[in-house]
Amino acid sequence: MGKADPLIRNTIRTLRFHHDQMTQRALAEKIGVTRQTVNAIEGGKYSPSLEVAFRIARAFGVPLEQVFQYGEAAPEEATTTSSPDSRPA
Amino acid sequence: MSTSFEHKSVWITLVSLIVVLVAYSIPAGYLLASGITIMAPYVGLFIAAVVLQIVIMIFGHIAAALVSRPEEADERDRLIEWRSEHYSSWVLGAGVFMAMMLLATPIAKVWPTHLLLVSMFLAEILKATLRLVSYRRGF
Repeated sequence: MGKADPLIRNTIRTLRFHHDQMTQRALAEKIGVTRQTVNAIEGGKYSPSLEVAFRIARAFGVPLEQVFQYGEAAPEEATTTSSPDSRPA
Repeated sequence: MSTSFEHKSVWITLVSLIVVLVAYSIPAGYLLASGITIMAPYVGLFIAAVVLQIVIMIFGHIAAALVSRPEEADERDRLIEWRSEHYSSWVLGAGVFMAMMLLATPIAKVWPTHLLLVSMFLAEILKATLRLVSYRRGF
């Protein structure tokens, strides 16, 4: 009671936009998942495994914390949120 | 949003399971209602049902492969499958338990056999349904 829900946010959509408007399919092929999974991650419906999270960060050439943020305060560039019910792999 | 090959595969599996369950249940139900308790006619029906399911699965997956590029299941697909199986296995477990209880009674073996069969089909149908719900609602 009274404890705010923690949130996992990501900036994948923004990062894709800044990387020559990379498509979800192109990102999916780079990180070895389906386009639907990229869409689910981006939309905050699925929290990826650490391995996939690192692959996403590597695909954009940025540190992991620039792609995913955990906490109550939303960073400026955060585009999506997910609930803690989205189980990590 | 277009669905993945894995998502389509689950739909094909669900449809095939329902078709096969209905195709088997109607003649088998008729035989059971007629009081036939020897296994032979049911075995023939079951083999026909399995062949029907294989045919539906093959043609369904060929059609799915034509409309979307087949791709390997990724970690999300596997996670969705594991979670769905976790819940659906309870149905199969309950069926097995009840069939074991029935085997301890003098009832004809055809009844526990069909209880096992039905629980197996229902567990698979539940699993496919839960997978589709997970794909739809997000996971």
